[in-house]
Amino acid sequence: MTAESASRRYEMVNVRQGYLMIEQEEHTLARRSYFVAEQTPPWEEYREGKIQFWRPREAAQTFQFDVKDTATGEVVPFGEMAGLLYYACCAKDSVVYQLGELAHEQRISLYVAITTEDEDGPAPMPASKIRLLNALFNERLRSPGKKVLIVPDIFGLHKVITYGQIAIDFGLTSMD
Amino acid sequence: MKVQELAKRIGLKPATTVYDRDVTGVFISDMVSDVIANAKGGDLLVTAQAHANVIAAANLIDTSAVVITQDKPLAGDVVKMAEKAEIAVFTTPLNRWQMATKLYEAGIR
Repeated sequence: MTAESASRRYEMVNVRQGYLMIEQEEHTLARRSYFVAEQTPPWEEYREGKIQFWRPREAAQTFQFDVKDTATGEVVPFGEMAGLLYYACCAKDSVVYQLGELAHEQRISLYVAITTEDEDGPAPMPASKIRLLNALFNERLRSPGKKVLIVPDIFGLHKVITYGQIAIDFGLTSMD
Repeated sequence: MKVQELAKRIGLKPATTVYDRDVTGVFISDMVSDVIANAKGGDLLVTAQAHANVIAAANLIDTSAVVITQDKPLAGDVVKMAEKAEIAVFTTPLNRWQMATKLYEAGIR
């Protein structure tokens, strides 16, 4: 442990390398995403029940982690996390971009925590976990006055973004 | 060592305004997720990736600057995003291994 990391309260633990898989049901076009901690993405079509047929659409190399509070020893799992979306990667006429610009004027960088989703929508991330993410990433900053603000997806971005906008590794094999 | 001094010493070409921060280490990776998980604030990020998500990750971690290797061209929106985040981006014709060697020779450990 370095002197710098020893001075921090929160640390990333149980870092799991893997893939974010996005799949779509052939008839209803419902979409869902999930994380798999495997060495290769599972590109497999499969039937679920009598009529549903799920087909993989995209895969991105990424990681998941848990957060440990070194003061209490508590480890909080973040299995629902799909990735963080920087406001500047969104459309300029979107609400998140406009809020991000306001925050930027105060030296605050706005990120949205995107979670995995099932057919009914994204997994919710409770406020206590959002606070923990903010503590974790703000502790790592060095520039004086700089802040990061991570918010839950109150904007419904999971419906409109492509997963390539999230800070994970889509298209890694394409080096164009 | 400051970003500007280091850039001059090893011949980096600025692609953005240079924001003169302290370089406290180096992190070399082409994976955004790896940067978020393992890089430290103040690190100089060396990568072959030149897309917007690299800047998003560099800003989240608060890297001192970003060096894009093998003269990969940066899209205009990437330059604007980096300048807004006050992260200097440089390019170099060198590959990552050659860049690592130069940085070591310049005294960055």
